[in-house]
Amino acid sequence: MDSHAAALRKARDSIPAEAGVGLRFRHHREVLESHPAAAWFEVHTENYLGGGSAPACLDAIRRDYPVSLHGTGLSFGSAEGLDPSHLARVRDVVERVEPALVSEHLSFSFAGGTYLADLLPLPMTEEALGIVCRNVAQAQDHLKRRILVENPSTYLRFRHSTIPEWEFLARVAKRTGCGILCDVNNIYVSACNHGWDASEYLAALPPEAVGEIHLAGHVVRRLDGGRVLRIDDHGSRVAPEVWTLYAEALALFGRVPTLIEWDTDVPPIAVLLEEAAHAAALIDEAESGNGHALAA
Amino acid sequence: METATPSLLELQRALRVSLLTHDDRGISAHVVDAGMSPAERLDVYRNTFASVLTTALRLSYPAVHRLVGAEFFEGAARVFIEAHPPRNACLDDYGERLADFLSAFEPAASLAYLPDVARLEWAVNRALRASDAEPLDPRRLAVLAEAEKARVRFVLHPSVSLLRVDHPADLVWRAALEEDDRALSEIDPGSGAARLLVQRLATGVEVHRMGESAWRFTAALFAGRPLAAALDEAPDTEASALLADHLAAGRFIDFGLNETSA
Repeated sequence: MDSHAAALRKARDSIPAEAGVGLRFRHHREVLESHPAAAWFEVHTENYLGGGSAPACLDAIRRDYPVSLHGTGLSFGSAEGLDPSHLARVRDVVERVEPALVSEHLSFSFAGGTYLADLLPLPMTEEALGIVCRNVAQAQDHLKRRILVENPSTYLRFRHSTIPEWEFLARVAKRTGCGILCDVNNIYVSACNHGWDASEYLAALPPEAVGEIHLAGHVVRRLDGGRVLRIDDHGSRVAPEVWTLYAEALALFGRVPTLIEWDTDVPPIAVLLEEAAHAAALIDEAESGNGHALAA
Repeated sequence: METATPSLLELQRALRVSLLTHDDRGISAHVVDAGMSPAERLDVYRNTFASVLTTALRLSYPAVHRLVGAEFFEGAARVFIEAHPPRNACLDDYGERLADFLSAFEPAASLAYLPDVARLEWAVNRALRASDAEPLDPRRLAVLAEAEKARVRFVLHPSVSLLRVDHPADLVWRAALEEDDRALSEIDPGSGAARLLVQRLATGVEVHRMGESAWRFTAALFAGRPLAAALDEAPDTEASALLADHLAAGRFIDFGLNETSA
């Protein structure tokens, strides 16, 4: 391999601190045929657990782009522990794809042998912290790599919670050595739903642990009595308030790989690239105004 | 009301019950109700649970969805999900029991062929996502002595399966996916059983019908019985042509030699 090709290959083995997009099945053909100028792609791990055309497409895409695997099924918050067979299947995908990043969520999806098909909220307690740390450590050992853990959007809190979510996440990172996937839209959604201060949340995260940022759209559901609930549906463009919060995050964390996610009524890749270009512009602005943060 | 602090395990099991059965008695006392009741908050998660799984079923059963219509499908899906929630996080694995569920689902009783269409769609799903494997190179068989050939037991490609259904599910399935209402109306649902071979090819999943004798020979081979025993199952079959077809289509990935030819 000549040095140029080797450099290219190396470049594709890490996620650049640029704006990538979430790749869904409807984009496969377009990406393979037209080779759009995306900085990197992220896919949902659980969509590639078997054989056939989907993983074959991902193999081809992986040859040309850096790829991140984002899981939804490991259930780090489960008191019953990780499902060893699911963990083994995730490891198979990780070995096949050799992704630059692997991430999961601060939530649970399993109880009583049932997969509950959602990222469910945890009580923010010392007991839950211990269980999450044990499960994250087990997954990192099994996958032989560092994992990023993402803050969820939530619609309920538990009365017996004693630790603010931002502190819980920071402590998981400190105890397990995992990174943080800071979902700025989720912070905004949860902050609005629970009356938290989103800026305080961001400022409490250890900048050196933040390895990726997620951005997505959400819906505002109006309930009777003038009440409002924000729901993280990944079905629209990023909200203006979330872009503002994102700029704040960049000022705190420096250049961080940033992903545009869209999962409901997924648009053509051109729309995702427009959103990514907006994120890229904010990354560049933050860099010129805040160069000292780059060392992180 | 019991409000002692629950363990994480207790809380998660109570939330499971709430999501599956709408019984919030074990969970609501632990949920902060600022501005919204626990039930309203839990409804957000219940809605996601139902809609994610209904979507997963719709993607796995597009022909069933088309045959019964969206409203009926969603109603049936809700009953199915409550009775058979998923047991693992891979939603491609979810819904295997839909065919059996539909055969006992009273509102669908007038569509006798529906469970068979669901059975076929499940076989198609399995084929689509089965592990990848290199087909057996037929030249490996050419070096065997005749006596050895009789003892050959084939290893089936993971994407290949056989299915026998009582109704012409393949015709209904194809017409439904092609949205060909005219073809659909011309199918006689009582026209008898269909013996189907399902396989993933590079171009997609192929479903084709087999005659009874060819199917018996093929079923014996696919079950891993030695070649001579498979031939005994269906002596009137064009066995060598069929075997050549199976090999050329890459339906086997390996073979071994049985101790005997029986």
